[in-house]
Amino acid sequence: MTAPPTLTVGLVGAGGIARAHAPAWRALGADLVVHSLAGAPELAAAHGGRAAGSLDELLDVADVVDVVTPTPRHLEVAATALAAGRHVLCEKPLARTGTDAVALLEAARAADRQLYPGHVVRFFPEYAALRAAVRAGDVGTPAVLRFARGGMFPVWSPWFADDAQSGGVVLDLMIHDLDIARWVAGEVTEVFATRRTVEQDGAPHALAHVVLTHADGAITHVRGLWGAPHTTFRTSFHVAGDAGVLRFDSAGAGGVRTDLPPVPSGGQDRPAPAAGESPYLTEIREVARAFAASPTALPESDPRHPRVSAVDGVVAVEIAEAALASIESGAPVALDTAARARALGGTPLPPHDTPDLVTTGSRA
Amino acid sequence: MTVDTASGAATPDVPVLKVAVLSFAHTHAASYVAQLRDRRDVELLTADPDAATAPAGELRGREFADRHGAPYVATYEEALAWGPDAVIVCAENARHRDVVLAAAGAGAHVLCEKPLATRVADAEAMVAACDAAGVVLMTAYPVRFSPEFQTLRALAEAGTLGTVLGATGTNNGKVPAGRAWFTDPDLAGGGALVDHVVHVADLLDALLGEDAVAVRAVTNRILHGDDPQVRAETGGLVSITYAGGAEVTVDCSWSMPDDGPTWGGLTLQVVGTGGIVEVDPFGAHVGGLVDGGARPAWLGFGENLDALMLEHFLGCVRTGEVPGPDGRTGLRTLRVVAAAQESVAAGGAVVRLTADPVG
Repeated sequence: MTAPPTLTVGLVGAGGIARAHAPAWRALGADLVVHSLAGAPELAAAHGGRAAGSLDELLDVADVVDVVTPTPRHLEVAATALAAGRHVLCEKPLARTGTDAVALLEAARAADRQLYPGHVVRFFPEYAALRAAVRAGDVGTPAVLRFARGGMFPVWSPWFADDAQSGGVVLDLMIHDLDIARWVAGEVTEVFATRRTVEQDGAPHALAHVVLTHADGAITHVRGLWGAPHTTFRTSFHVAGDAGVLRFDSAGAGGVRTDLPPVPSGGQDRPAPAAGESPYLTEIREVARAFAASPTALPESDPRHPRVSAVDGVVAVEIAEAALASIESGAPVALDTAARARALGGTPLPPHDTPDLVTTGSRA
Repeated sequence: MTVDTASGAATPDVPVLKVAVLSFAHTHAASYVAQLRDRRDVELLTADPDAATAPAGELRGREFADRHGAPYVATYEEALAWGPDAVIVCAENARHRDVVLAAAGAGAHVLCEKPLATRVADAEAMVAACDAAGVVLMTAYPVRFSPEFQTLRALAEAGTLGTVLGATGTNNGKVPAGRAWFTDPDLAGGGALVDHVVHVADLLDALLGEDAVAVRAVTNRILHGDDPQVRAETGGLVSITYAGGAEVTVDCSWSMPDDGPTWGGLTLQVVGTGGIVEVDPFGAHVGGLVDGGARPAWLGFGENLDALMLEHFLGCVRTGEVPGPDGRTGLRTLRVVAAAQESVAAGGAVVRLTADPVG
């Protein structure tokens, strides 16, 4: 009996999220090849991989591709990898615009390859526990939900501050909770958002609020902050239903609490989970299992399909885009994510009171 | 040597004030009566003529006064004929206007439960009547007096917060029980929007010193949706833009389950360029499990905010000083609620507010 060949992962990009993904791939025993405009040799060296001089060179050796570039490059890099017959894990947001996200989804369909968005918060145990409990009916019918997420303004890489490239705090940061809100409370019918950006003493700040109306009447507040340089990264939620309340605050969770110097430089640490292994490892293990399951696309109904689909990634971008449109116009924006999910070939999320069936355990 | 255990400093220089508590409709009446009854610088009288309109089983009227050890008369006319220096109006929200106008007409200073009224026009009339009578009108916003909010305010005034980008406020509680009118839109003016937005709006009014210029709200009735007694919205999210650009969202939902360990609470998280300050004035408590583990404990030990608020009101009555949350504050914060209700009625449209000289 021979050992299966080692999976070679092509990591495109060498920034903060690459530093979170690289050790997860290595922990699963994959070989690592890194290509980036800057920093690839250093990242490869730090994680026992090697650098590739070009995307073509990377595609020559990589079995699957993990796209961790800045958002504006996602479509081009991921579509190229898909066209070359590679499965792709693409960091969130799937693309800067809904149009580009749909184009990427279509590229995956045309190539008959797997594409998953890196919505890692679905793999954080506290959010997975929330979702499972709500689906099990523990809080009854969800009524009013609040999600908050924030940290220091990401000044370590200039593209974050450019709305045209990143979509700002709404598309880059709050998309996590916009996706989670839909995952927990169901499809979305209306989006209203406000945002205030202030530059003070050369330091940018951005605070945004998004209010979602869900198909069955639940309402959700999502608050995102790119704040002052000392801001500790923190996430929280409060989910009230007619039979109970569930809440979490990363500031009060976990068995270890430290507040130690120095002020982070060169990027803020990725948020730590409340407990257990790195959620990036959980995410990548689930994605790697799907990649290994089939050389071609995997239907959402397959139990080996990850808990997040490319359609989910497109819909998350479209919700964030609606929020940006609401900020721009000052008025609510109607949308129908159930219809969109259907039109994109996905399955709309079931209503809150339908517990997941064992046969669709991949979405549990 | 003796010790003085009564509160309130009545001396020859500080004469006793005659204070009437008018109506026991609001549950806070019990707290006010208890505070005032024990003060040596206050003479107390109470009246609750609308007691007969309350559902059977609600402790009101003379029985309530007897239970709480307060002198009682049957009508507002008798109470006002007694010549009170000040009154505390605890009537159902929709009845505030008539009681306040009568009190102002009798020359009494007024502390009125929140919301000041159920309609903006009523609040305007109340402010005008108290102005004309030369009496103090204060709105009962006790959270304003919490040490936690005072700390937040001091940090803002010292510039520590920098430019305020916005805030998230929560005022979540159990669905009001024991007083059916709270969930009757005719008497309360609405549901959770009316009950809980005003407190946060008052804190922001004090903190920012700016008018709200745009309001948008969504509500639902999923919580207690099967309770026929609850005829108003139980969940709500209100987005408020202030004149200086601060963007705020308020969760006003009655989302504390009936069996929750405490009535609810209020939090305000303010984000500025200098950082974040978050206050939880009802959060100080000892937790744990009691009753053999069957019930979570919540032993609150924060300040008695009603006592701090009454102290301020009585001081204003003595000096004529304009109270911290005055009638105009009550009017401005009611405008936010009215705009939120208008937004809901318009399907979630954004409602623009224009500054009014009265407010």
